[in-house]
Formats: sequence, structure tokens, C-alpha cells
Amino acid sequence: MATTTSNENELIIAHKELAFLKEEKGKRAAELGIANKELIFQNEEKEKRAAELEIANKELVFQNEEKEKRAAELEIANKELIFQNKEKEKRAAELIIANNELAFQNNEKEKRAAELEIANKELTFQNEEKEKRAAELGIANTELAFQNEEKEKRAAELIIANKELLAFTYVSSHDLQEPLRKIQTFVTIILEKEAENLSENGKYNFQRMQLAAGRMQQLIDDLLAFSRINTTELKFEKTDLNIIIEEVKAELKETIQEKQALVESIDICAANIIPFQFRQLMYNLISNALKFSRPGRQPHIIITSHIVKGNNVNNEKLSPGKNYCHVCVTDNGIGFEPHFSDRIFGVFQKLHSKDVYAGTGIGLAIVKKIVENHNGIITATGELNKGAQFDIYIPAN
Amino acid sequence: MKPSTVNILLADDDTDDCVFFKEATDGLQLSIKLTVTHNGEQLMQWLTNETSKLPDVLFLDLNMPRKNGFECLTEIKLNKKLQALPVVIFSTSLEQEVVNQLYHNGAQYFIRKPSDFLQFKKIIQHTIVLIAGKNSIQPARENFVITV
Repeated sequence: MATTTSNENELIIAHKELAFLKEEKGKRAAELGIANKELIFQNEEKEKRAAELEIANKELVFQNEEKEKRAAELEIANKELIFQNKEKEKRAAELIIANNELAFQNNEKEKRAAELEIANKELTFQNEEKEKRAAELGIANTELAFQNEEKEKRAAELIIANKELLAFTYVSSHDLQEPLRKIQTFVTIILEKEAENLSENGKYNFQRMQLAAGRMQQLIDDLLAFSRINTTELKFEKTDLNIIIEEVKAELKETIQEKQALVESIDICAANIIPFQFRQLMYNLISNALKFSRPGRQPHIIITSHIVKGNNVNNEKLSPGKNYCHVCVTDNGIGFEPHFSDRIFGVFQKLHSKDVYAGTGIGLAIVKKIVENHNGIITATGELNKGAQFDIYIPAN
Repeated sequence: MKPSTVNILLADDDTDDCVFFKEATDGLQLSIKLTVTHNGEQLMQWLTNETSKLPDVLFLDLNMPRKNGFECLTEIKLNKKLQALPVVIFSTSLEQEVVNQLYHNGAQYFIRKPSDFLQFKKIIQHTIVLIAGKNSIQPARENFVITV
């Protein structure tokens, strides 16, 4: 018996095994129902999720499309930006160049500004100096103006005084003539009508009185002539000096004949003169030359005139650039010592006693005054017993 | 030819000059009737007096009180009745401008009163002769001033 128990055991075991398996299969089926249920639920859940996903997918597609549109737009915009960027870069490059240029110019300007600043300072300084100088000049000017005014006042006073003096000279000489003339007339009446009643001495004294009165008359006449030279209106005329000389020669005809004098005029030009005064001048010079002739020698008077330039004459009173009419009167008379060459032009200046050479010493003073009225100069040169020379320079224009 | 009487009118305020003039004319070999007035006013009154016959010549001093010789000359030459009267200016001084003015104003002659009595006589005689010969025609300017 062992093998039949073993098979029954085996069958019990196998039955048991089957029961167990059956149980296990129920368990497993329950478990599978649960799992199925679970799977159904999960499935449902997944379907829900899939629907949701589909919706989400659609959304995403839409968003994607939108994004693509946007991307296309962005691409265009980007291209535009790239273009603009390039333009800006070009512009920037240009601006850099322009900037460099400006920077250079700026530098230059700064340099210039610096230079100008220096120059400005210099100018300011100079300006200040000039203002100082101007102020000084202003003061000096004021001073000069004051001095000028004073001088003008003084000059005006002098002119008045001079006029008064001349008027006095004129009036006094004029009025002195009358009583003097009467004295002379009375003397001549007495000498004519009462001569037989007078002693020789009485007659002589009357003659001396006549001479003295005559001399006084001459003095008054000359003084009047001298003062008249100042008072006459200065009227210049272009005049041929030949005419003047001929007139004077005609006036002195008797003396010229008496002295057998030779009066020559050579190269005479025209001059701008006061004819009446210049005639007096020539008269005085020629009559002087005749008067102071050397006894025993034929008087020879030479008159020349021509135009000279101031710088060709050795005299600082003449303007170098100006033209002058040079009138020269030369004689071969008694002349004078050279040191008298200025003095002879003074009023009442005589080199000889009136008993030797008559005259009042006014003739050459008048000559000088006339030359001065012509804005000219006169010089005298002489040598004793050799002759005299008078040089007149008056402006020629 | 027998000289007729010359009627001379003198206008001079100076007594001495009137005496000289009278003495000078008295000494001449001429028949002279001299009338003297002593200033310009008197002279013009005498000349414009209807009854007085015009003289042959007037010797006129320049420097006179009240009315001077210049004024008298101008009045005479502007007066139709008097303008033919020869006027001889008789003056102490001789100034060219004054002489020119007098010539321009119609004076006949100009005499500077000489200081020598002989000259005085001569010049008056000479002037009377000139006036008698040419009457009242004004001479050329260069012969206006009489000198002897």
C-alpha cells in the first residue's frame, strides 16, 4: 500500500491545489474587476485628458499660427531694422567724419581763440596805454588851448594897440603938418615982405628956421608915408615889374639926368604885388642908389628879377619848396660897412649926418615894411665904397 | 587982352590960411574979387542964396567944422544949379586915396597948400589961369593935382 496513498495524497494535494487555485482565481477575478474598473476610470480620465489635449492642441496650433505671423512680421520688421541700422551706421560713420572735422575745427578755433585772447589782452593793454596817453594829451591840449587863447587875446590886444599906435602916428603927423606949414609960410612972408627991416643976422636966423621947419616937414611926410604903408588895403595884382620900374625912372628922371646915372633893368618878370606899395619900394631903392652914389663915378644901377625856388636861396626864412620872385637892386655907390646890413632897415636909422646926405632915415624902413606886407624878405649886402645890393624875395604864385 | 575980374569964393575956417590966401591974391597981377566963408554950412548957404551970383571958382578946404569940404563938394555936384561951379580942393595933406575920391566926386583940381609963400602965390595964379582957360571941364586924372 505506499503508492496508492501517495496518489490519493497527490490528488488531495492536487485538489487542494485546485481549490486554492480556484480561490486564487476568484481573488484574481475580483482583483481584475477592480482593476478593470480602475482601467475604465483611467480610460475615461484619459479620454477627458485627450479632449482637453485636443482643445489645447488647437489652441497651440492657433497660437503657433499667430506666432508664425508674428515671426513673419518680425522678420520684415527685422529687415527694416537691419536696413535702418545700416543707414544709421552710415550716418554714424558720416557723423564720425563730421565730428572729427568739427573737432579739428574746434581745435583750430580754440587755438585761434587762445591767440585772440592774447591779442585781446595786448589790445586791452594798448588801449589802456592809449587812454592814458589820450588823457595826458587831453590835459596837454587843454593847456595848449588855454595858452592859445591867451596868445590870441594878447595878439588881439596887440593888433588893437598897433592900430591905435598907427592911428595916433597918422593923426598926429597929419595934424602936425598944419601949424608947421603956417610957420613956414609966415617965415617966407617975412623974408619976402620984411627983408629990408631985418639985420643980416636976423635974415640968417630966419633962413635957419626955414631949414629946420623944412626938415620937420620932411620927417612928418616920411612918418605919414610909413604909417600909411600899414593902413593901406593890401590888394595884390599880377603886375609886370617893368611897368613899375619905368614909372619910377620917369619920376626920378631929373635926378638920373643930373647924375648922368645908368639905370638898367634886366630879365624883369611879372610878380604878384600891391602895385602902389611896390612902386614906393622901387622908388625908395632906386632913389637911395642915386643919392648914395660915389662922387666922381657914373652911378650904375642894375635891377634884375627872376623866379627862384626857396631851397636855392641860402635863407632859412624862405620855404624850400616855394617859388619866389627875386628882385635885386645893385649899385656902385658908397655902399656901407657890412655890420650895418640890418640896422639900415630901422626907422630913423641913418649912417650919415644929414648935412652930408639929406634924409630922415625912413626910406628903407618903408621898403622893409612893404616887403613884409608882401610876405617876403629883404637883405642888404654892402661894402664901403664898393656899392650896395638889395635882394628881395616875395612869394610867386 | 584985358583980364576981367575973377570972382573967387574961399571956404576955409582957418584965419591964418584966409590971410595967406588974401595976401597971395592981392599980390597977383589979376583983378580978383575974393569972398570968404568960414565953414561948410556958411558956404552952402551963400551958394544957395538966390541973390548971390555964382563965383568963377571955389577954393574949398577939406577940414572944416560943421560941414566938411567932402560933404560940400558932394552937395554942390548933386545940385543942378551949382554943379557947373569949378571946385578947387585946397588942403594941407595929400593922400592918394583921398585925392582919388575927390576926383571921383567931381572936383576940378587939387592943391596941397604950399608952405612957401612964393609957391602959394604961384599956385593960386596958375590955378586961376587954368580955370579961366578951361572953365569947368574936369582934367585927366594925372593933371588933377596941381604942382608948381
